[in-house]
Amino acid sequence: MTLADLKPGEAGKIVKINAEGALKRRLMDMGVVGGTGVRVEKVAPMGDPIEVRIKSYALSLRRGEAKSIEVEAQ
Amino acid sequence: MMASQKSSQNPEKQGLTIAVAGNPNAGKSTLINAIAGSRLHVGNWPGVTVEKKTASLEYDGRDISLVDLPGTYSLSPYTQEEVIARDYLVKEKPDVIVNVVDATNLERNLYFTLQLLELGIPLVIALNMTDEAAQKGFRIDADKIASILGCAVVPTIATKNEGLKHLMTTAVSFAVDPGAHAPGFVSYGEDIEQALAPIADALKDHPEVLAGRLPLRWFALKVLERDERVLSEYAVEADALPIEKAVKHLKAAHGEDLEAHLADTRYGLAAGLTREALKKPEIRKKELTERIDAVVLNRYLGIPVFLAAMWLIFKLTFDIAGPFTDWFDGLTSGPLSRWAQRLLDFAAAPDWLVSLVVEGVIGGVGFVLAFVPPIFAMMFFITLLEGSGYMARAAFVMDRMMHAIGLHGKSFIPLLMGFGCNVPAVYATRTLENPRDKALTALLIPLMSCGARLPVYVVFVGAFFASQAGTILWSLYVFGIGTAVIMGFIFKKTLFRGEAPVFIMELPPYRMPTLKNLLIHTWEKGKHFLIKAGTYILAVAILVWFLLNLPWGVENKQESYLGKIGQISAPIFAPLGFGTWEASASLITGVIAKEIVVSTMAVVYVPQAQGEEEEAAPSFVEDLREIGVSFAGALREAATNVFSTFGIATISAEEEEGAEDLKTTIAQAFTPLSAYAFMVFVLLYMPCVIVLIAMRHEFGTWKWAGIAIAYQSALAWTAAFVIYQGGKLIGL
Repeated sequence: MTLADLKPGEAGKIVKINAEGALKRRLMDMGVVGGTGVRVEKVAPMGDPIEVRIKSYALSLRRGEAKSIEVEAQ
Repeated sequence: MMASQKSSQNPEKQGLTIAVAGNPNAGKSTLINAIAGSRLHVGNWPGVTVEKKTASLEYDGRDISLVDLPGTYSLSPYTQEEVIARDYLVKEKPDVIVNVVDATNLERNLYFTLQLLELGIPLVIALNMTDEAAQKGFRIDADKIASILGCAVVPTIATKNEGLKHLMTTAVSFAVDPGAHAPGFVSYGEDIEQALAPIADALKDHPEVLAGRLPLRWFALKVLERDERVLSEYAVEADALPIEKAVKHLKAAHGEDLEAHLADTRYGLAAGLTREALKKPEIRKKELTERIDAVVLNRYLGIPVFLAAMWLIFKLTFDIAGPFTDWFDGLTSGPLSRWAQRLLDFAAAPDWLVSLVVEGVIGGVGFVLAFVPPIFAMMFFITLLEGSGYMARAAFVMDRMMHAIGLHGKSFIPLLMGFGCNVPAVYATRTLENPRDKALTALLIPLMSCGARLPVYVVFVGAFFASQAGTILWSLYVFGIGTAVIMGFIFKKTLFRGEAPVFIMELPPYRMPTLKNLLIHTWEKGKHFLIKAGTYILAVAILVWFLLNLPWGVENKQESYLGKIGQISAPIFAPLGFGTWEASASLITGVIAKEIVVSTMAVVYVPQAQGEEEEAAPSFVEDLREIGVSFAGALREAATNVFSTFGIATISAEEEEGAEDLKTTIAQAFTPLSAYAFMVFVLLYMPCVIVLIAMRHEFGTWKWAGIAIAYQSALAWTAAFVIYQGGKLIGL
């Protein structure tokens, strides 16, 4: 299950990032690291990107990028 | 360049360098502005489009140079900003780092702090926005952070100027005696430290380390991370180092990707530190930001709210700027020209010199000034959008649509502003961080039909399509947008092939930007345009004066250099239906600004009205009074415009005097089909010189301006050709 599968209001815990290089490092730098809790807050009016809450701040990312983040539902 | 003299542990040291680093949205900009104020100098980092702010100030009898590093979340080798920041820190070695930390977002900010500490440079944390943190009920133990990390922590509220004096005093005392203030050792855990030790041991004899140019711990960490930039720059063969055993052990325990493992470790430390130092209230209140976002990012309201905001900004930018543009125009074409003429007449200057000064130079200056008001207004609103936090929301709302043509959500705003004037729109691409997004957006901006093209359409539509004027006009705007969509696709597949930049963006809390910040940014941008772009534009205006008026004394414009060039280039336009010297001369001068196509046509098509009536010239005092009165009028008009409803510029409002004669002549020189082809050509052909200069200015290279000239000229020719020849085929 990935972050893209969560609906607004649903929360999960990050398991790992299935990406390499720049994308992976960027996600990690923004706090997307294993074991961190994440909750989907909103979906943009046109369906993409999404807004999530992580490490007490609001982060937005495209579904394509969210798909590379493996989560377990909470 | 600043000579960064390295005489460590010298209390007598005079010149000190303070680097200011921090996450975006941590209030770094406000803090720098508050400390440096008007001494701030804004330029670019060499070779890139990233803004560089520096300031020289005196503090405590010492010369301090303050360097603002780009706002970043990390010091990875992957983004331009991060590479700039870390290259500066490693190579220029500031005496002290001031790390601006957002107190409301401690964990992610401290993750960055940990990376700064790896460099071994004395570090002072400006724990900023402590007022906001207190409002949330946060209690932060600054001393605990300081003792764990071995650095100083000074609470600040940059927007209220609080704590900044203490911050500076601390930073200076650290910089003066770096030996006594080296950051403490933060252990990354036993397994990492065990892997690092042999690496550090192998690297300690590297010439850069021996020369004291490279911090050993940072170097070793980068080698462990397999940081490509560091490995190649310092010619390190990571595999050749005798480090395999410890690294193997580390990889066996944590997987192949040690870069990720280190990021994990740093976040673990940041999380632990945050738990130690931060007491949060049990129940989290719903914050103002969330309540605003419930509306602003709402599924149904998000887009209407965005469009309303854009409409308002567009209206304000061009309606506020308009009266001042007119005022500048009146100033240069009226009193300034008159004074220059009188002065030159008094000095018995020859006619050609008078004409050169009045029409060429002062006309050129007027031209430059005309762009200043919209640029000031545009930069004011862009800064407001960014500073308030709405820019990120705008990108969030529009990204889906813009992403489809290879752009970023933030690209929408510069493109929209392009309909007013392409010049401030090019400057508005500043809001895009990724160089690829920025360049692509700038290349598409000229396809947005700007206000200067409207007068051309008005004359031609009036002459040929008066009965369906609205439809024809709209068709041109839509044609431009459609072309931009297609070109976006084409550029995505050609010039900008490869992986599209990611969209991973913080949605910062809404904040009220300080007026000081807004004004400093706006002023810096406007000033740069005046000085840098102004010189080029002036040169071009003078060049055109030469082309139009030489050989001196030509009666028939066909005999001028411009007329001659028009004749030579006319055959190029013949297949498009307008292969006359008049049309091509007009298009050539239109390169200065597209509305000049019309004024040139008025000169070349319509015989000059003989002997203009001499009005009684006003006296110097009358002129002065008039300047003041008209400025007050412009102020009043701008204020009225703000409150009045937005009227779409009607055709009659754009019509100039003498347009009737021009229309009659044009009606004979063109057919409806060639007129439409001509309008499409004017819409698409190379951007005006000022846009090109803005591109040069914004990107630091002529490359993108050159590409814009090439692709748009080809595009315009092809489109006009297809329209004209296709139209003829179907019998139009």
